[in-house]
Parts: sequence; structure tokens; C-alpha cells
Amino acid sequence: MSLSKLLERIAQLVPVLLGVSVIAFTMMALTPGDPVQIMIGDQAITAEQEAQLRHDMGLDRPMVERFFIFLGNTTHFDFGESFYHKRPVADVIAERLPATIELSLVALVVALATAIPLGVLAAIKKNSIFDRIATVGSLLGVSLPGFWFGILLLMLFAVHLHLLPVSGRIGFDSEVPSVTGFLLIDTLVAGNMKAFGDAVAHLILPAITLGLPMTAILMRVTRTSMLEVLRQDYVTFADAKGLSRRRVLFRHALKNALIPTVSVAAIETGSLLGGNMIVETVYGWPGLGRLVVESIFLRNYPLVQAAVLFYAVTYVLLNFVADLLYTVLNPRVKL
Amino acid sequence: MSLAAETPAASETILRRNLATFTGNRLAMLCALIVVLFVVMAVFAPWIAPHDPNETDLFRRLQPPGWMAGGEWSYVLGCDALGRDILSRIVYGARISIFIGIVVILVATTIGILAGLAAGYLRGWVDMLISRIVDILLGFPYLIFAIGLMAMMGPGLWNIIFALAYKEWVIPARVVRGETLVTRELEYVEAARALGASRGHIMLREILPNVLSPVIVVATIRMAHVIILEASLSFLGLGVQPPTASWGSMVADGRAFMLEAWWVSTFPGLAILFLVLAINVASQGLRDAFDPRFSE
Amino acid sequence: MKTLHKMLTAAAVAACFGTPAAWATDLTVGFTLDANTLDPANHRKRETETIIRNMYDGILTRDANMKVVPQIAESMVQVSPTVYDFKIRKGIKFHDGSDLTADDVKFTIDRITEDGGMGNGQTSPRQSLMGPVAGTEVIDGDTVRITLKEPWPILPAMLPFEEVVSKAWIEKVGNEGAATSENGTGPFKLAEWRKGDAIIMDRFDEYYGGSTEIPPVGKACVDRVIFKIIPESASRVAALLAGDVDIINELPPFSVKQVENNPDTVVMKVNGTRSFFIAMNMQGKYFADHRVREAAAHAIDKQLIIDKILGGNAAPIEGILSPDAFAASTDLHKYSYDPELSKKLLAEAGYPDGIDITMDVEGAFKDTAEATASLLSKAGFHTKVVVGEGAQLSEKWRTKGGEKTGDMYFTSWGNGSLDPFDIFTPTHKTNDRGNSAGYSNPEVDKLLDEAAVEVDTVKRAGMYHQAEVIVNKDLPYIYLWVPADLYGVSKRLKGWKPSADSRINLHDACIE
Repeated sequence: MSLSKLLERIAQLVPVLLGVSVIAFTMMALTPGDPVQIMIGDQAITAEQEAQLRHDMGLDRPMVERFFIFLGNTTHFDFGESFYHKRPVADVIAERLPATIELSLVALVVALATAIPLGVLAAIKKNSIFDRIATVGSLLGVSLPGFWFGILLLMLFAVHLHLLPVSGRIGFDSEVPSVTGFLLIDTLVAGNMKAFGDAVAHLILPAITLGLPMTAILMRVTRTSMLEVLRQDYVTFADAKGLSRRRVLFRHALKNALIPTVSVAAIETGSLLGGNMIVETVYGWPGLGRLVVESIFLRNYPLVQAAVLFYAVTYVLLNFVADLLYTVLNPRVKL
Repeated sequence: MSLAAETPAASETILRRNLATFTGNRLAMLCALIVVLFVVMAVFAPWIAPHDPNETDLFRRLQPPGWMAGGEWSYVLGCDALGRDILSRIVYGARISIFIGIVVILVATTIGILAGLAAGYLRGWVDMLISRIVDILLGFPYLIFAIGLMAMMGPGLWNIIFALAYKEWVIPARVVRGETLVTRELEYVEAARALGASRGHIMLREILPNVLSPVIVVATIRMAHVIILEASLSFLGLGVQPPTASWGSMVADGRAFMLEAWWVSTFPGLAILFLVLAINVASQGLRDAFDPRFSE
Repeated sequence: MKTLHKMLTAAAVAACFGTPAAWATDLTVGFTLDANTLDPANHRKRETETIIRNMYDGILTRDANMKVVPQIAESMVQVSPTVYDFKIRKGIKFHDGSDLTADDVKFTIDRITEDGGMGNGQTSPRQSLMGPVAGTEVIDGDTVRITLKEPWPILPAMLPFEEVVSKAWIEKVGNEGAATSENGTGPFKLAEWRKGDAIIMDRFDEYYGGSTEIPPVGKACVDRVIFKIIPESASRVAALLAGDVDIINELPPFSVKQVENNPDTVVMKVNGTRSFFIAMNMQGKYFADHRVREAAAHAIDKQLIIDKILGGNAAPIEGILSPDAFAASTDLHKYSYDPELSKKLLAEAGYPDGIDITMDVEGAFKDTAEATASLLSKAGFHTKVVVGEGAQLSEKWRTKGGEKTGDMYFTSWGNGSLDPFDIFTPTHKTNDRGNSAGYSNPEVDKLLDEAAVEVDTVKRAGMYHQAEVIVNKDLPYIYLWVPADLYGVSKRLKGWKPSADSRINLHDACIE
């Protein structure tokens, strides 16, 4: 990809982020509900004390002024202080981010690891019983409402069978020094295999619930593109040359068939990150999605605005990565 | 103008042929039938539901399904926390899910088609503007955006529809834009242009019929998705109003009772699953029939 | 119980050399919400305080019967209606090993009560919880004197909500440091805060023992305390039943039977402090008429809802005050369940066919609100329940005198101090912030204002009683019930009882 294309991409980011900021800010500002009242809760308070609180939260200024302060601060990565945590919003988000990313990536890996073999197999054995079952199975996967399926899995495996833990990221039998915030890595760095196993056990159900619809989508994509590749001349040619069927499939066909799968996976990862809050709610997973939803309800303006910006940047970057992967894996495509 | 009159007719025969392919797919037909049955159930809910869905009876609180000890066959799927008949609420709940699904998709598809046609055919600053709006809206995670809008607008059926359609139109818009970019260069469109047809005429009468097939396919897939999204909003407490039954809110209400009364949220969840699965299988059939690029 | 979880773990242990964990007793609490911050002066959240309070001690505290007793103070003397002296105990150590002095206590109070007391021009959000404090000074070395601008008899009741910090430490780490780390004098010290997931605390071995009036005095019993955050109630109950946690808060009433039937767990309850009531819009079309309000009050069978939905775990009320609150009246007029009388009153008011109304409620109370609405409907109030989001509804209803729309608002008000000042005044005084009915009675306003500063407790109780009688007659609200706080507790836990202020004090708790 040429440098000018790259620059163009980055230039496109600016209006998108500006638009996202404007919408996020006005949406919160127009939402009825007063953060000061929510914070005070059920107590008596004098008018002066209330005014003081409003001032300290920066809410005594007119909306337009608040918007430009927000915009100005955002340009140098200052997102303000969370009303309730009384710490910089960036810190609060950073604390929750590893949990969300870890879960999303594990779900992604699980999805890829299941979807690719199933999709390839379905393509090779086109119209077989296996193919039909896989097709219906993948449609079932996208049709399962995550909030409901998550509860069922939780009840079955954690509550009735006691096979897996009920909630959270890790147990408390062992303390793990936090290095990266990713528990799978931290436990390994600490050499604590017991804690690693524990973290894995906590991840299984949330990752399945989150990854299932994605598995279904990726399987369909793999199957379709594999079929397309198998029809291509060079595969037929390789067949004709007498190369072993297996060699043809894995050396030539698969590599090309996976290009769409990988780029779709990159784009879908964006929706994994943003669609987490349901799974996080069901499994008590301490991630960002739950925090953002709570913050909307508590009218924690700075946190919601910053998180929405974060999602937008991630979305744009992942799309960029998807395009990039597409070009790298498939030199015929020029961006 | 004779040329212009021919092409829609031609695309109509394509539509008819596609429909014939679709009807030949037995599984897809079966699922389409199931969807129709759900619609019938929604329309005739008052005649189908055995009880008033909102009639509370605290003495029937969390009554188990008919086949379990303590259950009654007249309340075959059991009762919820306020003693309301779960089956009747599922029957009535179909109204909400299907109504929201259809209206959101109709609104979004209409807007999406117009925006996509304008962007793809007019190009220039119109395309620029619409594409940027699309980019911005895509940058928001769908559910968080809908939650924010619901918090802003307050509860209500039409607010949900707005909160979902607000972003949903982006998807058909992208599809239509892409198809329009290709179609506008086709010969018969060039011919119509040469004959002096107005831009509106070309977009709506020449191009639109040709891009309709992919839009229909996308619309059915998205409808399944919108139904899950509505249920998710209800699950998070931002859905339709009680006592109106909504499948999502039924699952949400029941999750607290999962340990002692699994039936409260299991059955409405199954209802969502069946409807959405049926729509998905049917739309898969549609896609196979309408869009040969994906068919195998 | 052989679990996959344990098998995974065992396999992993076998793969490397695991160090054998020392035998330690852990006490795990399955808790609804994480702390927002660990800074005692920089939040307004009950759950945050519950967590912090196990690491920080206060000047005063409460015993199991909610009686206010000294903690860091040795004694309290009320010198005059506006002057209180606190003699500070010797030999109390902060977790960093430094000694607690009277200066630290003064610093703590100043940080909360002074304008800009947090530094950088910021005022503590807890300022209003400390009423009209004029200033704090250290007199003769170990006595701290708090002076008030006007008499405020509930100061001792409010002091247990504030925790003492170290002056030197705050000056060193700043507000940022205090938000995520701690240096208290409490029985436990912070080991690790896994944000959103858990707070882990270790026993503080140099603990001074805590209040001498709450035996046993001494170090905490367990080695480690873990607050594990589990917001979903079904998951919280499941964790308790599986033996993963020893205490859970907010046990839902319908799960009581399950916890009781489990051989290893019991239910513990304590009278709550949150009053539930229905506000009737007195500025609206229907409820300006006293007969309509009375009709609504007679339409609701409180006992039925308490028995069927709340599992019998609530006390019905006829006024705003919880039965445990200071000055709660016991002789108020009871509006009995009588739907026929409701219909008659409605007809008298000119609505023989009943009226169509809406009832606003937050999602959390939907089930009781819907049950209430169906009873109202049977008595001629055709009630539609509208579930809104908390913040939206409070803006709609708590208009501080501004115009309001809507008919009924099913809501609640908490009263952790159990003093009428914090609940009666905001909900009933003309145009006050919690007055969602739009009620205004100058007589009540006068009584509430006078009672707030009356030092003589007998006279003060009399004023509140008088106000309750008037309000019970005027009926701006339908007073419903005060639900009990329910906890699920493991049987291996000893020495712990829930407390009405919703604190979870783990100092004396032991694991067998």
C-alpha cells in the first residue's frame, strides 16, 4: 500500500472522530437526568452545597462552552475526570480494557479455530450430510440470543454441574502480580500454572457465548470462499498435474480461501469489543462494556464520551487492518 | 422511453425466476412457513392466547409448567413472577418482536435505498456527505448507541424503533451504493440518460429495480438481527413498556428466578430462537436464490 | 466435588513446581457493586463505603443494635448545643505504621467540611453529609473539637459514615493516590484491587482492636477478606450455594427458600432503612383531590404484596419513617385495603367509571409496581405502569417546585442514618429535592425546620410525630413498606451479623 493511501486513510479518521465526538457529547447533554442529583442520592443538602458540587463537576458552565472544553482537552488526550471514580477517565477505562480485550481475543481465537476447519470441511464435502448440518448449525449460532444462551450455559455448567466457576475472571487462591492486565499472560509470566488454569476455566463460558455468532459467520465465509477457490483454474490445473489432493487443498486453496475469512474476522472483532456488555453482564466479567452501560445510566458524561471515542478509533483501525490483511495476503488486490 | 420500460419488466422476470428457485428449497420454504405462522400468531393473538397476558394472580406466582408437579394444564408453560400465563405472554410478545422487526427494517431500508442511490448515482459531495455520515454511525457500537438514544428519549415503542432504525439504515445504504456504482455504468442506464430521462427517473425506475434483490436479502437477514437487538434492549431494561409482553423483557425478568423457576425465561428465549432461526434459514434460501454469487 | 475447574488446576500444578499455599482463612463476600474509589472523602456511594469501612475506622461507629459508640475517639462530650469534643485514643496505628494523632482527625474533618477542602479548589462531595460544621480544632493535644454554625443534633449519628485518614499520607500521595490505595486504621489493609472484579484485603496485625464497646476487642479473626463483585443476583446466589462465597448481600426474597433449604447456608435479615412509597402528583388533574388520593390508598393490599412478592420480608408503613427510625410513630391511621370504599370515593370525586392513570417506576422495582398497579386497576384506577430509567424519572418527578407531569411515581428513599432529617425533610418540605408529590404544607415545613435544629430529643421526637400525623392525613404519598435487608450466609461463618445501616463489618467474623 502506498504512503499516500495510508495518509488518506488517516485523514479520513479526523471527520469521523469529530462527528463521533459531537454525537456522543450532544447525546449525553440532551439526555434528561442530572449527574449532581444522582450523585447526592437520598440525602438532605443545601442549595449552596449543591451548587458547589455542580461547579466541581464542571456542570455549571453552558453546554456549548462545555463542548469546546471537551473538544480542546480531547485533542491532547485529556478526557477529564470520571464523576464517580474521581480519577482520570483514561485510567478508569484502561483498568477495564484488558478484561474486555482478553475476552474478545480468546473468543476470536476460539471462533477461528472452529470456523476454519468446519468451513473447509463443509466446502470439500459440499452438499453432504456434514455440510447440511454445518449450515444449519451456523444459522443456529447466529440465531441464539446471547443474553439468553449465556444464562442457560451458566446455569447448566456452573450451577447445576459445578464444572466451571460462576462469575469473574479468576479465583483468589493465588495472587498474581499484574504486569499486562491480561491474566492469561500474567499468570504465565508469574509461572503460576494453577492460576493460569483457573483463568482459563473462568474464560470458557463467556468466550463461547461471545464467540458463537462469530464462529457461525466465519464458517459461512470460509465455506463460500473455499468453494470459489476450488473452482479456480489453478486448482483444477494442480489437480491435473497429479499433485495430491491434500497438497492442493492445503498449499494452494486454503491459503487463498482464508483471505476473506481473516478480513471479516478483523471487522467482526470490532463488534465483539462493542457488543460485550451483554456477556459481561451475564458473567460478571469486569470489562469496559458493562462500565459504559453503567455510566450511561449514571450520566457519567466524561466516561461515556471517552469510551465512545475509543470504540470509534478501534472500529476504524480494525477496518484498516482488515484492508491491510487483504492486500498483504492477496498481492493481486491493490488498495 | 421504450427502452426504459423494458428493463423493469426484465428484472421482474428475474425476480420471478428467483422466487421459483426459492420455493424449490424445501427447508427454506418450511422456515418461511414458520415465520408466517409466527405472524399469524401475532395478528390473531387475542384468539390464540388461552389467557389475558396481563392478568396477574399472585397466588399463581411462579407456577411450574403443566407437566410438572404443582402445574396446571390450563397454564401449560407455567406462570411468571406476577402469576401471568407465560404461553399467553409469548403469543402476545410475538406482536412486539415482529412489529418492531418489520417497521425498523422498512424504515431503515427505505432510507438506506434513497441514501445509497443518491450517493452511488449522484457521486460528488452527496456521496462524500452520506459516506461520512455512514462512517460516523458505523464507528458507534450498535447496542451502546441504542442504549444512549433510549436514555435520551425515554421509554416507548416508537422510541425503540427510532433508536434501532437510526443506525440500521447504514447497512442497506452501503449495499445499494455499491450496486448503484456498478449499475449506473450499464448500457441501458447510459441509454436512458442519453434519451434525457431525469435523474430521479433513472435512479428510481432504472437502477432501483436492479439493486432490489440484494437489498431484500440483506433486509431479511437484518430483520433477524433487529429482533435480537430489540430483545437485548428489553433485557437491559430499556425496551417496551410493561405490562406489554416482550420476549426480551420476559427473559430479563426471569433470569433472577433461574435457580427456582427456570421456565420463566427459558420459554420466551426459545421463542426468540425459533423465530430468528426460521428467518435466518429462510433468508439463506432467499440469498441462494437471488444472489448466485453465494449459492452452492 | 470433582470439578473440571479443579482438574484443570491440578493438571497445571503437576506441570510445574507449585509452592504449597500456606493455610489461611479467607472470607469472601459476594457483593453487588465495586467501590468507585478508596478515598473516604471523595464519593457518595453506600456500597463504596461498605468496602472502605473495613479498612478505615471512624471517629464513631455503630454497634449491632445501631447504637452510636466511640471508635477512634475514646469519648464524646457535647459541651454545648453547637460544640462537641472528642478525646482521641492513644496507640492507634495507620497501616503504614505511623501513629494516629488528633491532627489527623482534624485534617479528616476539614478535608470533608471546608470549601475547597480536597485541595485544587475541589470540595468533598460528602460535605453536605456533615451538616453545618463551622470548624474543627485540636485542643490540649488529644482532643478534637467540632463547632457547628447552628445546633444539629444528628452530628453523632452522621459521624460513623466518615473515616479518618492520615494527614501526612494524603499530603504525600495526593487525591490520586488516595483513590486507588489506602492507609487506614481499620482491621484490614488493602492487598489488591482488581477493579470491577474484586477487592482483596489482608488482616492488619497491629490493629488497635476497635471500639471497646463492641467485644471482642482485638485483631480481626480471618486472615483475608475478599469482596467479590457479582452484580447479577442469580449468580450471587449461585456462588453462595456453590460455597464460593460466605456472605452475599441483596439476597432476592424469592431465593430465600433455596438458601434455607441448602444444608450449608442460612438467611440472615435485618430491618432495612429504605422506605417505599407512591407519589401522587398533587399538581395534576386527579390527585389534587384528597378523595382521589384516599381512594388510591385504600386500593392497595400491602400485606398481600409483602407476603407474595417480598416473601413476608418487609414492614408496612403508614408514614415515611421506617419503624426503626428515630421518632417513628406507631399510632398512625391505617388506610385499610378496601377496594369498594375506593370506588365509592372515586365516584364521590366525580369519577364513577374510574380513571386512567400511569405509574412511573424504575426497572428494579417493576414487579412490585406491576402488582400494585393491578390492585389499583381493580379498584377503578386503570393503571398503566411505565418503566423508566432512574435518572430520567428523578428529573421528571423531583422538580423542586417546578411543574411536573405524570400521575403516580412508585419510588423509594433511603435513610441510612435512621434520622428523620435525611428522609422527612427532602421528601415532604415544600419544593425540596425529593418532594416528588409536589406537597406543600406550611405547618409541616415549620415543624421540619424546627426539628432539624432542636437539641432536646423528647421535644424533637414530638415535632416529628406531629408532622407524621399531619402528613398521614394529607396523604401526598401512599406509604407502602420498608423491605428487610436480606443476606445469604454460609454456616461456617461465625461472629457476624448484618447491620441495619447496610455496613458489612467483618472485624469479628470468623470462618470455621
